Amino acid sequence: MFKSEQVNISKTNIPKLAIIALAAVFAVGLFVVGFDQGHIFSLVYGEQAFTDLYIHELTHDMRHAAGFPCH
Amino acid sequence: MKTVLFIIVVLISGAFAGLIHGTVNLVLVEPYLDVAIGIENNSLFATGLEKDTPEFWAAYDGYRTWQKSGQILAGVILGTSIGSLFGIVFALSRGSIPGNHDVKKSLILAGIMWFTLYLLPFLKYPANPPTVGNEETLVLRVALYVSFIILSGVGALAFYKLSKRFKRSIAILGYAIFIAALFVVMPDNPDEITAPASLVNEFRFVSVLGVTSFWVSVGLILGLFWSRLEPHKETAQYT
Repeated sequence: MFKSEQVNISKTNIPKLAIIALAAVFAVGLFVVGFDQGHIFSLVYGEQAFTDLYIHELTHDMRHAAGFPCH
Repeated sequence: MKTVLFIIVVLISGAFAGLIHGTVNLVLVEPYLDVAIGIENNSLFATGLEKDTPEFWAAYDGYRTWQKSGQILAGVILGTSIGSLFGIVFALSRGSIPGNHDVKKSLILAGIMWFTLYLLPFLKYPANPPTVGNEETLVLRVALYVSFIILSGVGALAFYKLSKRFKRSIAILGYAIFIAALFVVMPDNPDEITAPASLVNEFRFVSVLGVTSFWVSVGLILGLFWSRLEPHKETAQYT
């Protein structure tokens, strides 16, 4: 006669996949808001993106307010 | 750990905190940005680089609207970004942070990260309103600012590790000496401040309030989500 017993075990391992995904979000988001000077849009629009500075202008006020260097 | 839940909780916490940050900036910081850009405009007119014409003001209104509308969106993006880093650090260090509740642990960690990754770098390289930054020194200023943040963060981590071998007070003293050395060794911001001191100082004050609102929010929101949803637990059933 077997006796059945349920045991709950809590695991706290942090999956590497989650860390990699969040680290990627961190890096991309920080670059977009803090440092982009046309680099991202230049992948599509070429040199013109460095003149238009769409992302720079969009994040301009937050860039100053959050303490990032700006011109 | 429930991986998907963990990621969602972290992203939502950061996004909400970023939304709060952007909203606080819109109310507190924007008036100072308008004044600073007004000074920039007057300088452009005085030097003849621009003319005070209806066309100028039409273009100005267009890009200022674009910039202001980006405050909230940029807040959410930045909040999600910094919140992701915060979530990683919280998950990795949760067991070591003092406190018997996840909200308390999360707020303590937020306070530590606010101090080491924001306030200390800010004291060396404080935020400046438009009119202060020189475009030619931008790369140098970015390099200095980012370097200080990295060194301060890595230093805090290193001295935390040392605190396990030595007394905590010795590790804190060591970190304080390390940061003091950074203040002395690292070059100052090369840009000359030509804007009125009252404008610059008040702008810096509201800037700190804005960033602080983010760190308080992300600590509170992530802690509340964490304590409610317990993403660290993965229940395996054995019968």
